[in-house]
Amino acid sequence: MPAMAPRESNPNFMNGVPELLILRLLQEEEMYGYEIVQAIRSRSEAVIKVGEGVVYPVLHGLEQEGALKSRRKTVNGRSRIYYSVTAAGAQRLVELASAWGSLATAIQKMLTGVQHGAAIS
Amino acid sequence: MAQLFPELFPELRERLLRAGVAPRHVRRYLSELADHFTDLKAEEERAGRSGAEAEAAARARLGAVDELARAMVEQRQFRSWCARAPRAMFGVGPLLFLAAAYFLACLYLWFGWRVFLPGADTPFGERNGSMYDLANIYFQAGKYYYICAPVLVGWGIGLLAARQRLKAVWHTVALLLIAWMGATAQIQASRTAVPGGLGHISMKFFVPGAEAQVVGGLVHALVIFSLAALPYVIWRLNQGDARSA
Repeated sequence: MPAMAPRESNPNFMNGVPELLILRLLQEEEMYGYEIVQAIRSRSEAVIKVGEGVVYPVLHGLEQEGALKSRRKTVNGRSRIYYSVTAAGAQRLVELASAWGSLATAIQKMLTGVQHGAAIS
Repeated sequence: MAQLFPELFPELRERLLRAGVAPRHVRRYLSELADHFTDLKAEEERAGRSGAEAEAAARARLGAVDELARAMVEQRQFRSWCARAPRAMFGVGPLLFLAAAYFLACLYLWFGWRVFLPGADTPFGERNGSMYDLANIYFQAGKYYYICAPVLVGWGIGLLAARQRLKAVWHTVALLLIAWMGATAQIQASRTAVPGGLGHISMKFFVPGAEAQVVGGLVHALVIFSLAALPYVIWRLNQGDARSA
């Protein structure tokens, strides 16, 4: 059997972004862990890479904070834990999205400023 | 679950428990990881990989043990109370448990005194009647419960320590406290001065004075400690054997 190295994770993914992405995805529909990871991968066009198993501590943490709720559902003979967003989770998503938007704008401004500076010199 | 990739799950479980993650969170995490692994393997097989290749690819996608363990351990809210506050859990907790057990013993004695010996000055005196009469069985059961309470509490503490892979030092501290409390506990019972009044039952913890008392107390404490520690010691020895095998 060929040895396979674990995929390289994007470290930035772990800095509050997983919560944002998960809440955003689950706002649309309830999903189980595997579906969430596949949705993140396909929607980010595989830019965001993560060891897939690490999504569960984030899900459990959000559930414990009251941002998510879970229920066990049997689909095609398999019992799965589906997660969905609570009212508190929706509020959290608004706050996280706002904070992330501000940060992204600030970084964009910085990058634009550096380019201008380089053009002047 | 463990049959899916036997070498990864036990290692991850041990690492999480030793890091202080509560067993119920560990159980749920591993259960969801096993489901996820099954989905990943099926996906890889649909993509045309052989069983072994699909399994290797699924493992790689799921993440390394280090990464999976770190993600869970970093979430501090998943830590058990035994890991968060071991001094309280193993210093104060066992004493409270044993105090509660003794309170129940006193309640049991008081109830039996009222029902079976309503006129007696003490429930500890000689009783007439067959060895098999209800009163005798009742009081004998209470006596054994009282004697066994420290050992039972010790077993409970041992179970907790084993489940959460705690350091033996906390378990030892708890058992020493239980042994001390169990060896020095005394129940006293007397009837109040009011005729027909309720019996009065109290507990105290004596300080051994005479040499005979000290020796007796130490032997009693040693017996409680040994019996309470026995299941945990056997478990540790089995763990050692399993690891060296």
